[in-house]
Amino acid sequence: MRPDPAHDGVHDAPDAREPAFDAVAVRAGGAGGGHLSLLRAGVLIRHNTLLLLREPGPLIGRLVMPVLLMLALRPLYVAAEGPAGAGQAAVGALVTFSLLALSIVGGSILTERVWHTWDRLRATPVRPLELLVGKAVPVLGVLALQQAVVLATGVAVGGMAVDSPGLLAAACAAWGLALLGMGSAVGVAARSFGQLSAAFDIGGFCLTTLGGALVPLATLPGWVQAAAPVSPGYWAATTLRHAAAGETAPTLRGVAVLLAVAVVGGVVAGWRVRRGFGRAAAV
Amino acid sequence: MRRGHEGRGATVLTVRNLRKSYGGKAALDGFSLAVRPGEIVGLIGHNGAGKTTFVEVVTGLVRADRGQADICGIDALARPREARALLGVAPQELALYPGVTVREQLGLFAGLAGLRRAAAARAVAATAEELMLTDVLDRRCGILSGGQRRRAQAAAALVGGPRVLLLDEPTAGADPQTRAALLAAVRARAAAGAAVVYTTHYLPELVDLDATLAVARAGRVVARGGRAELTADLPGEIRVSLDPARPRPDLPAPLAARTRPFGEHGLRIATRNPPADLAALLACGCAPTAVDVRRPDLDDLYAALAAGSATTALDTEEGGRAA
Repeated sequence: MRPDPAHDGVHDAPDAREPAFDAVAVRAGGAGGGHLSLLRAGVLIRHNTLLLLREPGPLIGRLVMPVLLMLALRPLYVAAEGPAGAGQAAVGALVTFSLLALSIVGGSILTERVWHTWDRLRATPVRPLELLVGKAVPVLGVLALQQAVVLATGVAVGGMAVDSPGLLAAACAAWGLALLGMGSAVGVAARSFGQLSAAFDIGGFCLTTLGGALVPLATLPGWVQAAAPVSPGYWAATTLRHAAAGETAPTLRGVAVLLAVAVVGGVVAGWRVRRGFGRAAAV
Repeated sequence: MRRGHEGRGATVLTVRNLRKSYGGKAALDGFSLAVRPGEIVGLIGHNGAGKTTFVEVVTGLVRADRGQADICGIDALARPREARALLGVAPQELALYPGVTVREQLGLFAGLAGLRRAAAARAVAATAEELMLTDVLDRRCGILSGGQRRRAQAAAALVGGPRVLLLDEPTAGADPQTRAALLAAVRARAAAGAAVVYTTHYLPELVDLDATLAVARAGRVVARGGRAELTADLPGEIRVSLDPARPRPDLPAPLAARTRPFGEHGLRIATRNPPADLAALLACGCAPTAVDVRRPDLDDLYAALAAGSATTALDTEEGGRAA
């Protein structure tokens, strides 16, 4: 055989033809320029919304269950905290089930890794930020819908009082972003559905219980109350309560904490996505 | 860094001396390759030769330890996103969304390639037609047959109209119809000017594609060129059937050294000069009942290089450099 020894094996092939490539002319959102292509992000948001809607069961469950839980727990909260407990029941159910909704974010990322579509997307000009935005925006929409349904039901049926809708909206948005950050971080860190399930089952339960979302914090042992501030669930529950009561300063402090959680989760997820998973992460 | 060297004969994909190790084990060890517009390169080699790692490095999924990769004048290692805009990739593993339709799947990748809705819809329809997917465009990927999935996977690579195609075993497990459609699509894209790197273990496909060859072994390309060029110096084979009623002839030592049994009463002789060896065979009293002369083919090349029994000029050069 006579291989070409020139140029370290780089070989000028015989029969090379004149480039006659007829590229499709209508293009937008090229690879360069800016940190975020709106076109690509839009394509991914549309695609991920489609994926969510094609499997609506979990979404419906996460909309209906918190309403039922809120109505079931309302007497307990009222007994523990007096008339104000009616609002706490709505907030508690919301925080509990939105924490469980973390699995939507993490599960959607891990599922793509199992399907090998995550790496397929990374082999396109898509930026890690666009990938995460594409995943996050539809889920943020689901969380917003969940929050709207639970809070509206809480006000209409559960006797919840909202003194400052603006503060409440800010608190809800901050909590939604924190959930996205945490869910993304867990989704990219988990190496199997077993790990993901354990993280959400154990972590979610601990966070909701420790944070005083599932049952009133006042009814829990002293050591749990002392440890509660380490839980994002605690900050979500207290911030939403302060926001509903129109207390600006504690609401803003809580919003800041929740946004910090969102940033940390987002940075971890972005770093991991940028670094890639490689074959070692096969699940 | 843009070099703007896309004139006639310029390469659109050039990688030089790529190195990538996993835990001290080299997956790429000086991998170099260049592909011109319109060229189909058949990248062959055993599992672990570095073919898939090469694809992963060029697409930016894996970061090379060292080396250079250039796509249409863009440094693919320094500016991977810009380089990826010119690539169409069909990975070895199927990467389809089971819950979306073929149309939606292709529309996603057309959109990510930068095509607006109307242009994307046209590209989806044309690519589906090319790969015989038109009838299943509105069927969910999860219920497609194996062959249809393979075609959908390849269609996702083609739909954006890439200038460089990296197809990593695109016909693995595919039926003949799928294989024929894929090969036709690849030929058409190359004819339109796309550069194609086609990784496969099915060597006859490379004959169908009229591909030039790059043989990978131990993380580097050890032979590169046209099929005839690379197989020219390999031995062919003479297969001789002998009359069982007659005694087996005593072959001269040089011939005997290249002779192996063939069936119960036959011989197979590795040869670079079939007429001379046949004459020698007849001269020593052999009376064949049938003779079949086989020219060296890709299987022989693959076996020789993969087994390491063939030393190439590239090997010698690398060895000398290392020494």
